[in-house]
Amino acid sequence: MCVTCLVDQFFPEVGIATVNSLRKAGVDVDFPSDQTCCGQIAFNGGFQSEAKKIAERFLDIFEGESYVVVPSGSCASMIKVYYLELFQDDPVLLERAQKLSERTHELSEFLVNVAGHQNIDASYHAKVTYHDACHLLRELGISDEPRELMKSVEGLELSEMQDSDRCCGFGGLFSVKYPEISKAILEEKLRNIESSGADILVANDCGCLMHIRGAMSRQGMKQEAMHIAQLLSPDADRS
Amino acid sequence: MVEKETKTDKSDFLQLVREAIGRKTPLLYAPDYPPLKSNYTRQQEKVRTITAKNLARKSKILDQLIENASFAGWNVHRVSDHESAAEKIGEIAASVKAKLAVRTTETILKSVNVDGALRSKKVTPVVLASGRYRSKSDLKEVAFKADLGISGVSFAIAETASCVLIPRKGVARLTSLAPPVFVAIVQADQVLENLDDYFAMVRLQFQKTRGRYPNYTNFVSGPSRTADIEQTLTIGVHGPGIVHMVLVG
Amino acid sequence: MAEVKTAKFKKASSQAVSDPKLQNTLEHVMGHFIEARAGAIEEFGDESWDQMRERASSIKKHALENLDYYLDLIDRTIQKNGGHVHFAKDTQEANRIVLDIAKKAEAKRVIKSKSMVSEEMGLNKALEKAGIEPVETDLGEYIIQLADEPPFHIIAPAMHKTKQEVSELFQDWLRTAPTQDIKQLCIIARDALREKFSTADIGVSGANFVVAETGTVVLVTNEGNGRMTTSTPKIHIAVSGIEKVLPAIEDVGLFLRLLPRSATGQRITSYNTFVSGPKFSTDEDGPEEFHLIMVDNGRLNLMRDPEFREALKCIRCGACLNTCPIYRKVGGHSYGWVYPGPIGAVITPVLTNIKQSKDLPYASTLCGACRDVCPVKIDIPKLLLKLRHMAVEGDSSQRSVSWIERLMIGQWRKTVSTRSSIERATNLARFLQVVVTKKGIIRNLPLPLISGWTKSRDFPALAPKSFAQLWQEKFSEETDG
Repeated sequence: MCVTCLVDQFFPEVGIATVNSLRKAGVDVDFPSDQTCCGQIAFNGGFQSEAKKIAERFLDIFEGESYVVVPSGSCASMIKVYYLELFQDDPVLLERAQKLSERTHELSEFLVNVAGHQNIDASYHAKVTYHDACHLLRELGISDEPRELMKSVEGLELSEMQDSDRCCGFGGLFSVKYPEISKAILEEKLRNIESSGADILVANDCGCLMHIRGAMSRQGMKQEAMHIAQLLSPDADRS
Repeated sequence: MVEKETKTDKSDFLQLVREAIGRKTPLLYAPDYPPLKSNYTRQQEKVRTITAKNLARKSKILDQLIENASFAGWNVHRVSDHESAAEKIGEIAASVKAKLAVRTTETILKSVNVDGALRSKKVTPVVLASGRYRSKSDLKEVAFKADLGISGVSFAIAETASCVLIPRKGVARLTSLAPPVFVAIVQADQVLENLDDYFAMVRLQFQKTRGRYPNYTNFVSGPSRTADIEQTLTIGVHGPGIVHMVLVG
Repeated sequence: MAEVKTAKFKKASSQAVSDPKLQNTLEHVMGHFIEARAGAIEEFGDESWDQMRERASSIKKHALENLDYYLDLIDRTIQKNGGHVHFAKDTQEANRIVLDIAKKAEAKRVIKSKSMVSEEMGLNKALEKAGIEPVETDLGEYIIQLADEPPFHIIAPAMHKTKQEVSELFQDWLRTAPTQDIKQLCIIARDALREKFSTADIGVSGANFVVAETGTVVLVTNEGNGRMTTSTPKIHIAVSGIEKVLPAIEDVGLFLRLLPRSATGQRITSYNTFVSGPKFSTDEDGPEEFHLIMVDNGRLNLMRDPEFREALKCIRCGACLNTCPIYRKVGGHSYGWVYPGPIGAVITPVLTNIKQSKDLPYASTLCGACRDVCPVKIDIPKLLLKLRHMAVEGDSSQRSVSWIERLMIGQWRKTVSTRSSIERATNLARFLQVVVTKKGIIRNLPLPLISGWTKSRDFPALAPKSFAQLWQEKFSEETDG
C-alpha cells in the first residue's frame, strides 16, 4: 500500500480506514515504511528532474510483485500514467515504470475489480454525495467502481450532485498560485454539494477532500467531507 | 511608403514548412491517403452504389428529411405535383404579404408556374439576373428590396436538412440570401441521405470535369440565426428568418 | 499583430472573478453551451462519437505531416480555379497583402465575417490606418467592434455583453432608440449592415477548413453574413491559418458533423459556404476576384515539435473553453490575446512569447475536461505540462519560474527523499503549527506563496501522528506476529 503523503501526514485516519477495508476484503496489506511521496507536485509544477528523482526512489521502494494500492486518484494517476511519460527516454526505468503501472491500482477500483469485493459488508447510515476527482475519472476512467461500493454499504444513500465530474478547483499548485480563481470554482462545487441534500461529501482523493473540507469548515457548513475508505471499514458507522 | 516590400515566395515558404515538419525535400509522390487515391472509375462505382442505396431507401430518406427539416426550422410542405407546388408558393407569398418576389431559373421553375401563382396573389415576380440591370449594385438593390426569394436546389441532404444551392447563370446568390423569406423547391429525387453521399458526388463531378467544378456552393440548413446576444436564439439576422421547403413528389 | 497582454493574466483574472455580473453571465452562457453540446452528440453514442474524433484527429495528423504538399496543391488548384493564393510568414506580411489588394482596387470599405486569424493580424487597425473602413458583420463581432474590445470567446465573441449594453452601444453609434428586445437589436444590426453590404468593395472572411484536393475554403456560419461577405463585394479575401487544411473533399462530412456539435451544439449550422475561386463569368453575382492568404504567424514553431504539433489540429470549436473550470470563471479577456481558454493557454505562449505568457500554462488544474470534449483529441493537459516543464528546465528564452519556487521545490525534494528527513521536518512543523492551529485546522497560514489559500479555506493541521507512526504502533506487530 502507498498511502500518499497527504494521508500520511494530514489524514492518517484515511490510511487506517484503507488498511481496514483492504483487510476486510481478504487482502494482505503491507506498508513499505520508507515511502514518502510520488512526486506529483513537482511534476505538475514542471520540475521534471526533481520529480524523476522522487519517482526513481518510488520505483525502488515499490519494486516487487505485489499490487500497489493507492487511496488517491491523482497519486495513482501519477504512478500509472505520468511515470511512463517521465521515463520515456530511459528504457530501463521505463520498463520498471511499466511494470509498476500495471501493478498499481486505486483503492476503489482494486476492491471491485481485483479483490472482487463488490458487496462490501459494511454499514453506514447517512446520505452521501460523490465528487468525481478529476484524475481518477479522466486519467484512470474510474467512476462506476466507487459508486458500486457505496451502493453496497448498508444504510448509505447516494444522492448525486449536479456536475459531480466538474473539478473542485484544487489542482495542487493551482490553488496556491491562483487562490481566487480556485475559490470561485470551489464555491460552485459547494453549492452543488449543498443542493444534493447530502450530509457527507465523498471522494477518493485527499487533495480534493482537503480543499473542499477546508472551505466547508471555514464557511461553517454542516456537511462533512470523507474519503470513501472511511465508509467501508468495519468500524466506520458511528450512528 | 516603400511600395516594393519583400513578399514571401511560395517555394521559400513551403521549404520552411517542410523543415518544421522535419523533412528536407519535397515529396516525390502524393502522400498515401486513401480518399485521394480513388480514381474516376472507382469513384463512379461508389456513387452508383450510393444512388442505388438512396433509391432503395427513398421513402425513409424523405421521411428523415421532413423530420430533420422541421426540427431545423424549415416549414416543410410536401406536395404531389407541380400545380400544387405553385399554389403552395402563392399561399406562402400571400401569407407574408409579399409585394416583390425574386426567383431563379432552374428547370424546376419552368415546370412549376411560380410567376402565375404569384401574380394571382398580386405579387410581382422578378428573375434576379445580372443582364437585366445596368450595374451589379442594381441587382443588389432589387434583391435587398424583395420580400421573398424562390429557388430550386441542386441537392437536398436528409441528415442535415440542407438544401444545396449552386449559383450559376439564372441562379443568383442573393436570391436565397437577401429577402427575409426564402422558398426552396426540392424534388424528391434530389434528396441524398447524408453528407458523405453528397461529398462523394462532388468528388466525382470534380474528377469528371477535371476541376471545372462550381467555385461556389452553399448549404442552407434552416433560417438565419444568431445567439450572439445573451445566448438567446434569434431568427433572421442577415439571411432569411423564414424558410420554406416545398418538397415535390 | 494584435496586442499581447498575456503578462497581465493574474491581475485580469482576479478582476474577472470578483465581477459578479460577469460571473453570472459566464455561468449562464457556459451552462447553455455544455447542455447543447451534450444533447447534440447524444444521437451517436459515446463509442461512435469517440471513433469520429479519432478519425478526425488522424486526418489532421496526416494533413499536418504533409502540409507542404497540401499547401502546394491548394495553390495550384485555386489558381486553376481563377483565384490567387498568398503565403504570409507573419501578421505584418498578411496585413500588407490585404492592403496591397485593397489599394489596387481603390477600396474604401471592407466588410468582414468572423475570422480569428484576422484578429491575430489586428487587421481592422491596419485597415483603419490605411484609411479604409473595416466593418465586422457577425453580430457578436460587430458589437465588440463598436465597443472596441477583443473577442471574449472563439465562437461567441460578445457573450459578455448584456442586451442593455448592446442597446447602449447601438444608441451611441447608430442613434437608435433604446430597447431590451433582442430581436429588435438584431434588426437594428441587420439594417445598419445591409447598407455596408451593398457598398463594400472587399469582403474578408476566415476559413474553417481549406480542402486541398478541390482548393475549397469552407465557412461554417449561422447568420448569413458569411454568405453576404462572399457574395456582394467585388473582391473576396479569405484569411486562414496554415493548419486549417483537410486533404480531401470527402473528409469534409466528418468535420461538419464534429464542429457545430462541439461548438454550438447544433447538428449543423444554418449555412455552409464552399468557395473555390471567383465567380464564373456567366454567374449572376459574386466576387470577380478571389484571394486566399495562408498565414503562419508562429504556427511552424508548434509544427517543429511533434508534441506541440498536436495543437495545430485544433478546429476552433471552443468546446474546451466551455468546459474549462478556469475559463468559466476568468472569461476570455483575462488570457490577454486572441485565443483564450485551455487551447489558448497552449498556443498563445508559442505563437507570441513564452516568457511573457508564463502564467497561462499554470492557469489550469489539469482536470482534463478539455481533452475529453476536444473533437480532434488534443491532449491539452499534456501540452500545458510541457510548457510548465519548459518554464522550469527550458532554455533562457523559456525559463520563467522564480528562484524562490525553485528553492522551495528543491527543499521539498530533499525532505521527501528519505523517511527520516520527512519525519524531522514534520515533527518540527507539528511543534510550530501549535501557534496557528485551532481544533485541528489552520485559518491563516502566514507563509510566502501559500497565504492566499487560507483566505477562503482552512488548512488542515498535521495529524498528531503520521500514518507511518500509527502503522508501526498499530499494525506492524499484527503482521509480524
